[in-house]
Amino acid sequence: MTTVLLVDDEKLVLRSLEKTLLRAGYDVLTAVDCPSGQQTFAHHMEQVDIAILDLNMPDFQGQARPGSGLELLAELKKQKPTLPVVILTAYDEVNKAKDAVSGGASAFFVKGREQGLVELIQSILNER
Amino acid sequence: MSTDLQRHTTLLKASARAARLITLILDPQELLQRTVDIICDEFGFYYAGVFLIEPSGQYAVLRAGRGEAGQAMLAEGHKLAVGGNSMIGACIQNRQGRIALDVGAEAVFFQNPHLPNTRSEMALPLIVAGEPIGALTVQSTQEAAFREEDIAALQTMADQLAVAIHNSHLHREKQELLRQAERRSRLLQAANRVGKEAASILELDALLPQIVNIICDTYGFYYAGIFLVDKSGEWAVLRAGYGEAGKAMLAEGHRLKVGPGSMIGAAIAFGEARIALDVGEERVHFKNPHLPHTRSEMALPLIFGKQVLGAVTVQSVEERAFSQDDITTLLTMAEHLAVAINNARTLEALKQAHAEILRAKVFEALTTATTEAIHWIGNKALPISMTVARLQEEIADGKVDLDSLREDLGMIAESAEQITQVKEQLIGPVREQAPRLILLADIVRTAMLQRGLDLSMLEMSIAPQAAYTVADSVQLVRALGNLLQNAVEAGAKTIRVQAELADERGMLHLVLADDGAGMSAEDLSKVWSPFYSTKSGHHGLGLPAALHVVSQAQGRMDITSREGQGTQVEIWLPLGYAPVFPLTLSGSAPSVLLLDDNDEWAQAFVQEVKKAGGRVAHQTKLDSFPDVELLLVDEHAASFSMDDVLAAVEEAGLVGKTVVLTAAMNPERVTRYLRAGLRDVQLKPYTPQEIAALLV
Repeated sequence: MTTVLLVDDEKLVLRSLEKTLLRAGYDVLTAVDCPSGQQTFAHHMEQVDIAILDLNMPDFQGQARPGSGLELLAELKKQKPTLPVVILTAYDEVNKAKDAVSGGASAFFVKGREQGLVELIQSILNER
Repeated sequence: MSTDLQRHTTLLKASARAARLITLILDPQELLQRTVDIICDEFGFYYAGVFLIEPSGQYAVLRAGRGEAGQAMLAEGHKLAVGGNSMIGACIQNRQGRIALDVGAEAVFFQNPHLPNTRSEMALPLIVAGEPIGALTVQSTQEAAFREEDIAALQTMADQLAVAIHNSHLHREKQELLRQAERRSRLLQAANRVGKEAASILELDALLPQIVNIICDTYGFYYAGIFLVDKSGEWAVLRAGYGEAGKAMLAEGHRLKVGPGSMIGAAIAFGEARIALDVGEERVHFKNPHLPHTRSEMALPLIFGKQVLGAVTVQSVEERAFSQDDITTLLTMAEHLAVAINNARTLEALKQAHAEILRAKVFEALTTATTEAIHWIGNKALPISMTVARLQEEIADGKVDLDSLREDLGMIAESAEQITQVKEQLIGPVREQAPRLILLADIVRTAMLQRGLDLSMLEMSIAPQAAYTVADSVQLVRALGNLLQNAVEAGAKTIRVQAELADERGMLHLVLADDGAGMSAEDLSKVWSPFYSTKSGHHGLGLPAALHVVSQAQGRMDITSREGQGTQVEIWLPLGYAPVFPLTLSGSAPSVLLLDDNDEWAQAFVQEVKKAGGRVAHQTKLDSFPDVELLLVDEHAASFSMDDVLAAVEEAGLVGKTVVLTAAMNPERVTRYLRAGLRDVQLKPYTPQEIAALLV
């Protein structure tokens, strides 16, 4: 079973995505900010096949800060360089997308265009 | 008396009369011309002329001559060598009067074509303090008209004339010194004015025309203009010019190349003043068709530090128009002007920098607001669209799980509710405003209760003179509610609300201070940005909406915060003057039961109605109701909920007698109360007029 780590501070986004991924047949681990995301990953590092991280959420100091999802991306990549990561954002900012890719993200996904999210995850996992 | 004696006496008398008249004239040129006329008239001579020695001492130059002959010789510049063969030259040389009685003896002189009838001549030296200054010639058509003894008689008159000439020169010099002193004083005043204008006018377009006007008006110059060097440094561009010529040249965009080709260009290029006193020496410049009468020009560089900012041109219709005083004061003016131009440019640069910063800040704020809005909307929309997509798949698969469906619908409803809240915050401040006199303490309580906040955490201290403000109570409750809710969500244990008269006349100063988490400097800098929030699930419109409401009430707002110590919001609102009681009620005023907390407003209401002779009771509980004609219920009370009130009045059969009073009218709630059968919903009254209107 493929396991997805899903981190987002918007509880409705988190739950809605979780249900969609569950329905698609994935196991889903959820967290609401960078510290809990890192902690959840640390506990299930071997199990997690792919991570979906919100770009803007509370950082490691608990402060809501634009771009803090990239910090978590760096932490996860440090621990597991092969981990595919999708950055999720409500705002399709090109520079942030570039930052995400240069930080090792496999994709940059804009909220509101989520119809293809399951297919995207599957295609990323198939590339491995 | 013999004929000779008579002639000599007549000569002496004429000499005395002439001397007396001569000494009365102070103007040098008038003195000389009148002298020759007086001598001819008094003595009956054919001709008289006055020669004065020129500065070199070589020639005696004719300065006044009788009649047409005199005018003709003056026009020719008639002059005679001192010590030469002429009678004038000889008498000056010898300092002695001379007589020529015979044509033949002075053949050269008497050949003067302008004086063909001269047969006798006397030349008398003009001597002052032993030094000759010129000579007087008198001529007669009679042969042997003069005798040796006549010399002494006429020499007395000549001596008087010499003194008069000397005095008139002294007088002219004195007048000239006086004129120079006056002019110097006027110029210094002008320089002072330029200094003052330069210090007070910071706009170049206003300052420069003033300066050219001062220069021309004070000095009486024909034209003045100010050129400034353009950004390329290659051109001096005219920025102000005097009179019509100035206007025309400004309209043409007159400019001169920096360099030796023009006086202005040279003054700028070399950083030195240029003066042209003769038309011929500066032909190129003086060909300016707008200034055809210029005969002198001065170009003064405008230097600040080591930089030449431009130059001033000053032009006159006179040749050699500029005195040393002119130059000195104009240079001083130019220095003042250069400082002023530099100040104005510095100010302009500061303004531009400020505008640039403002633009950047506005852009940053808009970008932040837009980014936050997009982020927020994206987060609220995602659960709806994703859940709907999932449900559609589940329905298509025929695998709808009821619990999951219930959860999904809940998520859709919650997202939709948050979006609706944003609409309310946005639409609130743009609703029609109805400012009125309102009791500040009651508005704060209402705001707390409307948000379901615990009143026990509120420490309110409102000075009696700051008890009332003028605002729309509905909007102010919304604004204060946003601020109070922020404080509670920041973990505040206590919210202190204080109001007192502001330093600013006609305003009150309201402070809401909490002991919550406070904000970082970065968060604080963004609090006014719509959709920016440090709290998850918040729309970030609370503070911008509150600011909008306060601004619409003609107030202003500020916020300070320290992380870990709390936040303080300061609001300045228009001061409302306390309403003047007593209340006047009509004789048919209904008996009233007020259902409300035992707060400041309820106590004042009951007290004033009773004073006015009204029948009023007040209670906080819903367990029993006296028989009254009107039941007034405060919508926002801590003692009961409106659900309980609706049930109680239904049970007591008072539905049709119940009027809800509210400081924060809401269409949905009004609809609910009216559908429940209540008589009316009205704004809570704060003035005697509003209470009287309620109790009709």
